[in-house]
Amino acid sequence: MDEKKFAKIEQQLSPKTPLGLNIVKAFLTGGTICLIGQFIAMFYMTFFDFTERTASNPTVATMVFLAMVLTGLGQYKKIAQFGGAGAAVPITGFSNAVVSASIEHKSEGYVLGVGGNMFKLAGSVILFGVVSAFTVALIKTILVKFGVVSW
Amino acid sequence: MRKIMFLLLISVVLSGCARLGEGIHIYNDSNADSAPAENVFKEDDRLVSMTVILHDQQFVSGVTVKTFSRFHKKKIEKELKEKLEKAYPDFDVTVSADNKIVHKTTEIIQNKDKAQLEEQLEKIISLLKEET
Repeated sequence: MDEKKFAKIEQQLSPKTPLGLNIVKAFLTGGTICLIGQFIAMFYMTFFDFTERTASNPTVATMVFLAMVLTGLGQYKKIAQFGGAGAAVPITGFSNAVVSASIEHKSEGYVLGVGGNMFKLAGSVILFGVVSAFTVALIKTILVKFGVVSW
Repeated sequence: MRKIMFLLLISVVLSGCARLGEGIHIYNDSNADSAPAENVFKEDDRLVSMTVILHDQQFVSGVTVKTFSRFHKKKIEKELKEKLEKAYPDFDVTVSADNKIVHKTTEIIQNKDKAQLEEQLEKIISLLKEET
């Protein structure tokens, strides 16, 4: 059996991905997470001295904390199985990646196990986040320098 | 029990919508005329509502903008501030499209007790300067 023939048979046998349904599920899950985030931001703005701009920091912290608790209780994986990218892309997905890796490697000890593997999944997010933020900031600085846009 | 919880939740959520509504709302206890502020609001079709407080050389205003104009909040704030500073040269003008400021100024207008207005206005301005 050559490679092409194998690929053809594999394609025939494997179930088709319900792309449309997955997109709708991701949209709904991601939207719900963001709606909860919006409620938390409104809560901080109404009951504490936070403005729209400064409320984002405690909101992010709260969302990360909630996702951490849900991951610990084994509930976040259910949301992730349903929502796919909708549960992985918001900040809660990042929290889930850190906490689940920590739980998984706890048996290897706190230093080399938890400490060494905590950012196994989330490390790439941090790396590419920093690189892309640096690139965008560099481009914007150049554009501001030439007077194309303003800060 | 579930129905009661649901009704309670809905009422709590909807109670957050207590606003003054569209248009311009002004509280003025200074000698200045409030008509120029009304004109600035009428001329700008990106604005939905505006709350203005004129008190002792202080002009504090919170504006809500149309949904798609939210991307240009900073620009709108800057333009409004320039126009209002021209209209009220003796006043210290503060304009913000931040929800918190709209909420606070609305609270002041709705609240009949204006005893600590000075302090409240100072607090609003200090909130805007907060960077962290």
